[in-house]
Amino acid sequence: MIGWVRNRLDAFRGRGAYAATVPPMDGALRPNTRLEEAAVLARVSSPDNLVLHQGRVLFSSGAVIMALEDGQTREWRRCAAEVTALASVGETLAMGLADGSLILASDADRLVTGLGRCITSLSAGEAGQVIVCVGSAVHCCDEWKHDLLTGGASGSVWQVTLADGVAKLLAQGLSWPAGSATSGGQTVVVEAWRHRLTPLGGVPLVSDLPGYPSRLSPAADGWWLTLFAPRNQLIELVLREGPYRKRMMREIDPDHWIAPTLSPAVDFNQPMQGGAIRTHGIIKPWAPTRSYGLLVRLDRKFHPIASYHSRADGRFHGITSALQMGERVLVTSRGGNAMLSLAEVQP
Amino acid sequence: MTIPLVQMTAITKEYRGVPAVKTVNFTVMPAEIHAVLGENGAGKSTLTKIIAGVTSPSSGTLTIDGQARSFRTPSEALAAGVAMVFQETSLVPSMTVAQNLYLGNEKFFNRLRGLTIAAQQFLQSLNFNVNPLALVANLGAAQKQMVEIARAVLQKARLIIFDEPTATLTPEEKRYFFALVQRLKHDGVAIVFISHAIEEALMIADRITILRDGELVVTDAAKAFDRDKIIQAMVGRTLSGALYQRHDNKVRPAGAKVLSVQNLSMGAMVRNTSFTVYAGQVTGVFGLIGSGRTEAAKIVSGVLKRNYFNGGEVRLMDRPVTYRLPREAVLDGIVYVTEDRKLEGFFEQMSIAQNLFMGHLAASGPPLVSYAQMAALAEVWRGKLNIKAINADARVIELSGGNQQKVVIAKSLVQKPRLVIFDEPTRGVDVGAIAEIHQLIQGLADDGLAVMVISSYLPEILNLSDRILVARQGRIVEEFTPAEASEQKIMYAAVH
Repeated sequence: MIGWVRNRLDAFRGRGAYAATVPPMDGALRPNTRLEEAAVLARVSSPDNLVLHQGRVLFSSGAVIMALEDGQTREWRRCAAEVTALASVGETLAMGLADGSLILASDADRLVTGLGRCITSLSAGEAGQVIVCVGSAVHCCDEWKHDLLTGGASGSVWQVTLADGVAKLLAQGLSWPAGSATSGGQTVVVEAWRHRLTPLGGVPLVSDLPGYPSRLSPAADGWWLTLFAPRNQLIELVLREGPYRKRMMREIDPDHWIAPTLSPAVDFNQPMQGGAIRTHGIIKPWAPTRSYGLLVRLDRKFHPIASYHSRADGRFHGITSALQMGERVLVTSRGGNAMLSLAEVQP
Repeated sequence: MTIPLVQMTAITKEYRGVPAVKTVNFTVMPAEIHAVLGENGAGKSTLTKIIAGVTSPSSGTLTIDGQARSFRTPSEALAAGVAMVFQETSLVPSMTVAQNLYLGNEKFFNRLRGLTIAAQQFLQSLNFNVNPLALVANLGAAQKQMVEIARAVLQKARLIIFDEPTATLTPEEKRYFFALVQRLKHDGVAIVFISHAIEEALMIADRITILRDGELVVTDAAKAFDRDKIIQAMVGRTLSGALYQRHDNKVRPAGAKVLSVQNLSMGAMVRNTSFTVYAGQVTGVFGLIGSGRTEAAKIVSGVLKRNYFNGGEVRLMDRPVTYRLPREAVLDGIVYVTEDRKLEGFFEQMSIAQNLFMGHLAASGPPLVSYAQMAALAEVWRGKLNIKAINADARVIELSGGNQQKVVIAKSLVQKPRLVIFDEPTRGVDVGAIAEIHQLIQGLADDGLAVMVISSYLPEILNLSDRILVARQGRIVEEFTPAEASEQKIMYAAVH
């Protein structure tokens, strides 16, 4: 009873779960333009998941898996549906497709089904296993905005054994699991809608991130975490305003929703971005922009130690994947349709 | 030959047999600006209080205009043309600014409107932006100081003694103040100026007197001094370079996120401000008076309340927290070391031991008083913070400003905090104690505590901070690393 009263009071006052607040980008997440200034390796339509497979850099772009060789991209494999996730596990390349199938490709392809239609991320687990993140049991990958705006919490994490293709459910009821990493026998899962990194069965290692996190990949001495969109007070408010949100979803084109996006607005019908807060000639990152480019370097304990930004007025938004290659880091900007190369990655 | 306006000969003042001032000879000439410098406890305030009739000397003579005088009250001194502006405000909080200005000089039939208009005109003539109808209790420290100064000027004194007049003023207000001092000098008023800010003394004083341990070390023309020479005379050793320079360029790495303030709002003072404080680092917050930095810190520590509707969020260790009382924050490990120690920092009539024990009680369970524990606590913290006093039973009011500040800090640290917020930690503190307090703050961060230092003194922020946040108009507007920060950049961000 007291809990109910407090909940109603919080809703009335805009506090607790109803506080439309966003953590600041400061400290290790302090804005810069290092991502914006990164070298553009290739211009590709919607580049997504990067992997290093048998010495070759591969990345997905729609239904095609592209290879990056000598600074040039070429089609490496075409799939039956859009590729939503990739992982290289030993000799095997695991491919998650938008039709819900998981293909384990080595000498021959093996098909694993029954994981749902929304494979958002694949990563190498313990020896001979692949960890599969399924964002939602209701929506497919393209409908990620729908899942966010409906408060989706139907995601799950699976462990698939490469040898026999058997899938084992590790966790469910997650809010859009979008990335995972296994280290020291512990699998850490990224929950995008809860803005946190949590080990399976444990307490969050990092929480309250200022954006929607997605994939994790190994760095020289830690991890890379991509955040594909920013949080802002306007969207947080919309997320808490049920009737408004429902009506918006019912009546307005998804491209015009007040919701995060992967790319800067190009259509004047879309809600205004970069809300015109300009100081020192720079549009500040706390302006209500709906897209942003952010790559975060984490230490071994998954704490942020450095970050790379393409700010509100930048081009390379919607960062979905990073791959460390020696001194360089390759980054895909899905919103900016570009493959980037960061040269200096020391914080 | 010009007769000195004030001449003190072999003045000694003892408290309980302990000399605060020892056989000091001191003169003030008409229409001169005379700076009195010294560490806290050097006897500056005592010396000037004797001139202003606040206290009387144990021995020695005081002459005003060549006539021997012995003031029993400040009003007698005022009648002889000597006014003093105190470091700690002596205004009546429940009265308006106008009423305070004319307090003691009211006409038989008072007309409030006339009083207000006169006060308004007078404040404007001094370029002081203070509302004469505002209650003094609602004024900030800087504005109270302005009213104090205005009152002294209004009383048409021939000698005005300023005790730390600029400690609470912003750079802009300081400029006005210095112009005012020059104007007073031009009108024939002598100024005695007690300050810890050596540069200010060098800039505006005609003569400088330096005291150490109650004795006069030197009096000479300001031109004969430089910063190093003054510091050496003040402390008997050279500190100059060490005080406001980073000892190394090492920046502590950020530990866990301890405090996350998100879109915090409180009236017009705090407007949607957000910042984070990490363990193992000193997070410096610079801002001019009115930038909302103190208010934000007070909301975090439960002293003030945020807006009732959509007031934002304070997260401690990723847990949203709301405090109705400071004690709740203390129990959660947040302590706030106030900028106004006299009003909010300690119980002045209580002993050091009692003050520290009060801090301990706030953070512990039932209020069971153990005198043995109180004494032990006082002994430990007097040693740790080098609090100089006759003994642990000494009342805090009897201590110098620096030692009072150490008591305030110790009172907070006994509460075993995880986040310490220092608000102007070295305001009104002498150079020797500043170095000790800085060392203490660095030590806390080295021990893994999250430390936030709010300061309007740029060298202090630059010296202490691992991260520098700049507040302006109720929000944090910029962040600098120590490597890229400079006084110019920080000030630009704070103003524009």
